[in-house]
Amino acid sequence: MITGEQKPVQEILEIVKPYKNILILGCGTCVKTCFAGGEDEVAVLASALRLAYKRDGRKIQVKEFTIERQCENEFIQESAAEVAQCDAVLSLACGAGVQAMAKRFEDMPILPGVNTTFIGIQETEGIFTEECSGCGNCELANFGGICPVTRCAKKLMNGPCGGSQDGKCEINPETDCAWNQIIDRLTKLGQMDNLKKIIPPKNWNTSLSGGPRKLVREDHII
Amino acid sequence: MIKKDRPGITIFYCINSFRQPEKPILEDCDIKYIKMPCSSMTKDVYLLRAFEAGADAVMVLVCPEDACRYAEGGKRARKRIEWVRGILDQIGMDGERQLAIYNIVSGDDKAVKEIIKKTLEGLKEIKKSPEKHV
Repeated sequence: MITGEQKPVQEILEIVKPYKNILILGCGTCVKTCFAGGEDEVAVLASALRLAYKRDGRKIQVKEFTIERQCENEFIQESAAEVAQCDAVLSLACGAGVQAMAKRFEDMPILPGVNTTFIGIQETEGIFTEECSGCGNCELANFGGICPVTRCAKKLMNGPCGGSQDGKCEINPETDCAWNQIIDRLTKLGQMDNLKKIIPPKNWNTSLSGGPRKLVREDHII
Repeated sequence: MIKKDRPGITIFYCINSFRQPEKPILEDCDIKYIKMPCSSMTKDVYLLRAFEAGADAVMVLVCPEDACRYAEGGKRARKRIEWVRGILDQIGMDGERQLAIYNIVSGDDKAVKEIIKKTLEGLKEIKKSPEKHV
């Protein structure tokens, strides 16, 4: 999933400053799972904004609404009636959701309330880790399902570097060494021969480094 | 709804640690009680909405940490209190003085009375709640 965290309330207060009637729009998929932009977070932020404005003697109308996904037009459509009644939307979706909303509602300011962080998983309750960089050329099959592009600080494709200690990364001792994990996993799978392969330099053309990407599925285009 | 002519406190309490008294604990404040089956039910939005409803301070009364019937209710409540305190601080309120959690041994109403007195003292030193400034 895409992970994110809500912007500090003070920053959000600055962002919504020019507006008197805002809709806080939650997204019920990824950002809900990481407690950044689901229905609950919408309610908390709305309450915090109302309290902040009352404290300063200012007035603001804050409405709350959450749709299943802000990155798909079919779901975005469900918010149209609510959007029509406000003068700005504070979106608690990821950056994709914010931009999808902006495309759909051309005349409406769509403001970001969340900092999108990474593609990751919930490792344990309340802890999310980055697992995928979306490089566009997945090589997980070589590495026992553990991504050195994302999880090795040096992005080594032919590791390990030799600097890890007690299974921890020498760059950040709080981070597990990805190559230590790769070796453990390949050992369990009986695939240690994978390490004998020389992985050629990675072609980054498929990554964001080559500019914004577009995925085309001809069979779905009429 | 809490009246606006004197301090208002909303008390969320776990029914295993406290029972709402039949008579007012103190006469010089308005207290609104909200009972919970366990303090793990403490939720950020409810705490904030208590302030929106006019509370000057919000207190959460929970069982002693090692005496929670559901093992970790008080611990979860304490984490959420800390989270909401951060939000209150960001919007210019006094998270530490206006929102607090206390471990209460069941039946110790005297301790609750002292806690309320202490809270009222704290409130005197800070601005009133946003609701009361409107």
